[in-house]
Amino acid sequence: MSRIGVFICHCGENISRTVDVELVASTASQFPGVAFATDYKYMCSDPGQSLIKKAVSEHRLTHVVVAACSPRMHERTFRKAVEQVGLNPFLCEMANIREHCSWVHEDREEATQKAIEIVGMLVERVKKNRVLPTITVPVTKRALVIGGGIAGIQAALDIADAGHQVVLVEREPSIGGHMAQLSETFPTLDCSQCIMTPKMVDLANHPNIIMHTYSEIEQVDGYIGNFQVTIRKKARSVDENKCTGCGICMTKCPQKKIPNIFDRNLGTRTAIYVPFPQAVPNVPVIDRENCTMFKTGKCGVCQKVCGPGAIDFNQQDTLIVEPVGAIVVATGFELYDITEKPKGSPIKGYGEFGHGKIPDVIDGLTFERLASASGPTGGKILRPSDGKEPKQVVFIQCVGSRSREKGISYCSKICCMYTAKHTMLYHHKVHDGQAYVFFMDARVPGKSYDEFWRRAIEEEEAVYIRGMVSRLYQKGDKIVVMGSDISVGVQVEIEADLVVLATAVQPRKGADALAQKLGISYDKYHFYSEAHAKLKPVECATAGIYLAGACQGPKDIPDTVSQASAAAAKVMTLFSKDKLEREPIVARVKENNCVGCFACRKVCAYGAVEEKEIRDRQGNLIKMVAYVNPGVCAGCGTCQATCPSKSVELDGYTDEQIVAMIEAL
Amino acid sequence: MTALSYSYYPGCSLHASASEYDISTREVCSALGIALEEIPDWICCGATPAHNVDELLSLSLSAKNLELAEQMEGNRDMAVACASCFSRLKFAQHIMEKSEDKRKLVEKAIDAPVSLDRKVKHLLEILARDFGLEKLASFVKKPLSDLTVACYYGCLLTRPADVPNLDCPEAPTIMESIMKVIGAETVPWTHRLECCGANFTLSRPPVVQQLSNAVLDSAKAAGADCIVVACPLCHGNLDIRQKEIEGIYSTDYGLPIFYLTQLVGLALGISFEKLGLDALIVSPQKLLKQKKLI
Repeated sequence: MSRIGVFICHCGENISRTVDVELVASTASQFPGVAFATDYKYMCSDPGQSLIKKAVSEHRLTHVVVAACSPRMHERTFRKAVEQVGLNPFLCEMANIREHCSWVHEDREEATQKAIEIVGMLVERVKKNRVLPTITVPVTKRALVIGGGIAGIQAALDIADAGHQVVLVEREPSIGGHMAQLSETFPTLDCSQCIMTPKMVDLANHPNIIMHTYSEIEQVDGYIGNFQVTIRKKARSVDENKCTGCGICMTKCPQKKIPNIFDRNLGTRTAIYVPFPQAVPNVPVIDRENCTMFKTGKCGVCQKVCGPGAIDFNQQDTLIVEPVGAIVVATGFELYDITEKPKGSPIKGYGEFGHGKIPDVIDGLTFERLASASGPTGGKILRPSDGKEPKQVVFIQCVGSRSREKGISYCSKICCMYTAKHTMLYHHKVHDGQAYVFFMDARVPGKSYDEFWRRAIEEEEAVYIRGMVSRLYQKGDKIVVMGSDISVGVQVEIEADLVVLATAVQPRKGADALAQKLGISYDKYHFYSEAHAKLKPVECATAGIYLAGACQGPKDIPDTVSQASAAAAKVMTLFSKDKLEREPIVARVKENNCVGCFACRKVCAYGAVEEKEIRDRQGNLIKMVAYVNPGVCAGCGTCQATCPSKSVELDGYTDEQIVAMIEAL
Repeated sequence: MTALSYSYYPGCSLHASASEYDISTREVCSALGIALEEIPDWICCGATPAHNVDELLSLSLSAKNLELAEQMEGNRDMAVACASCFSRLKFAQHIMEKSEDKRKLVEKAIDAPVSLDRKVKHLLEILARDFGLEKLASFVKKPLSDLTVACYYGCLLTRPADVPNLDCPEAPTIMESIMKVIGAETVPWTHRLECCGANFTLSRPPVVQQLSNAVLDSAKAAGADCIVVACPLCHGNLDIRQKEIEGIYSTDYGLPIFYLTQLVGLALGISFEKLGLDALIVSPQKLLKQKKLI
């Protein structure tokens, strides 16, 4: 005979505003099998948990139902509480009367009735819960970091400094990411290269870090503590072990006119190249699409001049499998571009700004390259079309960002600050020049940020115009900027020499494909989703995978570094134990019933279903059945819903329990 | 494929100041075998004034026209030539589709149910999409080779983005695609989507002079021989006021302003008079003779 305790939470007023919690408690106390029912203002608080624990002991409760918020929020909290007083944690269930009831209803009477029914269902379900032993799995104390920008570098260094091995995978030939492209950084205007490149060197020299550049994630198998990651090391055509980084191959390469992507296509590079002089590793890569040897089979100059014989035209992609226990995803961002988008695309281009066809309309990152001492102009602000120094520069903020019409409704967060920085850099370099900024709002919260923005206006003479720009067009060698100044209600027309667009921050192309490999979720823009917006900002909902940097949402450098260190701390927490406890809410196969159709294997998103042989005593094979690996199973229940012979059951959600819940209605 | 057939909403302008647009539209459609049947007893769409004064009035005027078209036989879509009428009718459909409440108010006002099933189509989409560019090409008898045109969309044909759904609101190509098919050369230019001043033409002429001057100036600078439009109001401002603008700004544009259908008609071999080309204020005689088109 079960003795069930039912605990109704007010959630401050979140539940009690619409649900008569006392009535729910008194009604629940009459349900068959319920030995005790009560309500309390904050069940998750310390006194609330004590109340539950006391009741379990005093009333010799066998099962507990907490009617409160979503189990995603506090199931662990309450299960831990009952465990402390000797109850198996899986005999405690939550009835969600907040998200599923009080938050979505207005009529108090009806909401109360619904809450009573939800509690009734959970009482019936918990009665049939089994005592489940916790599953323990070993932890591989090595971490994988995907992305070698500032986020990935910071996370990798932190984890490695704590004494754990780190495998860092970077898609490009060098680590460094966007931060290596920047000129000076806000709010202190220190040179980005000066603070970034030492970290890159630290990473490359760290005894605990294995760095795979020019590599991509091919496949991810396994689960928290026990991932198997397959990495595709793309053919560099240069042997990393032999190359000394002398650079003679690059000076002799006859292909010299290839647009330099690192310099936003402003300068040129050779077919064998390092993206930038401070690249780590300082090992070139051959761009096979543009290399004469690969295109015509004739050339090989680099091979002839290479002293150590590092050039290998026959090099192939290789696949490496790395076992790791945790993964930090730090794939960063890219900038929205204003070019015409394919028909039907949710994101639109800017026809009114010329769809990217006006040469002296550039984006913020291109301006960074112009302003960078190591950039294509050696740090001189010269416009791309004719190399002249622009005397009137118009900066336009919120290009793409906060524009529902263009399909991006979010704020890109970094543009207000970097545009203010750009006006300062411009003012420092072109003393007789004038910078104008069109802006909707100045969003500059952050330590020393508002002061920085005000300095741009008050000391560095940038003219800020509150309003948007409706059109840009070329007129002779000027760009006409047609805008509005909404603070005085007039139209503004400026003939600019250069226009800089603060275009929106977007996730990397292919972010969705990587997420699918990792089994993590992402939003409609393909930013990766954290497990909880406030309380789990660096964890993914998928256990063992953590997020750092702009792949989760637009972020500046200080925020990115903070999040990267936070993700590293989470990884270290995971690695602090030798064995990991997992929830035993997993699927079980009734082997007697299973006919071995393996429909379950086809639908399992986690690859948890394996084949198992059933043999008689003589060792003759009788049949093949499905076996669910409890270490991999995520407890989603898809197999249970799919199984045609009803041979798979998920603990806590068995058919018997579901039917009992329906009957309680 | 059955022949294309539409209910036809000319609107007030096409029965008055823009009668040559009406004439040339009918001529071109008849030459292409596109049937247009004028909606019996149609009323004014309310144009710019109505929706600035009273939304319900504006919606009801358009709804009444939609309802009249609905009454006609044949379950046809509605053809509209005037960019402003097109905009008002599309807006009415858009607003009533989004708001059940407003739709009910309108239904009460016109005392009839409003159906939103029939599509409202501008001539541009009828020619370029329903009829089709390839088929149109096969009808061309006299390609307008040698003629360089600036295609002028003005404000209303493509905007706001989610209402007319005619083409990309900020970088449309539909008019250029028709011009190319009939053999004309089109120029890229900066002011094809700017406002001409529209209905300020009577209340605040200096505004119109300034804005229309910018349009003319830009087309001329781009090397166009003429401008092609699909809106009677744009036409009025650029054509009728051109002489006056030239005086104020001490320039000489001499740019004939054609209606879309007039140029298509020429390419189909329809005569100068039948297309109402003699009604244009800036005479196209010289240009067309020079290009051997008449």
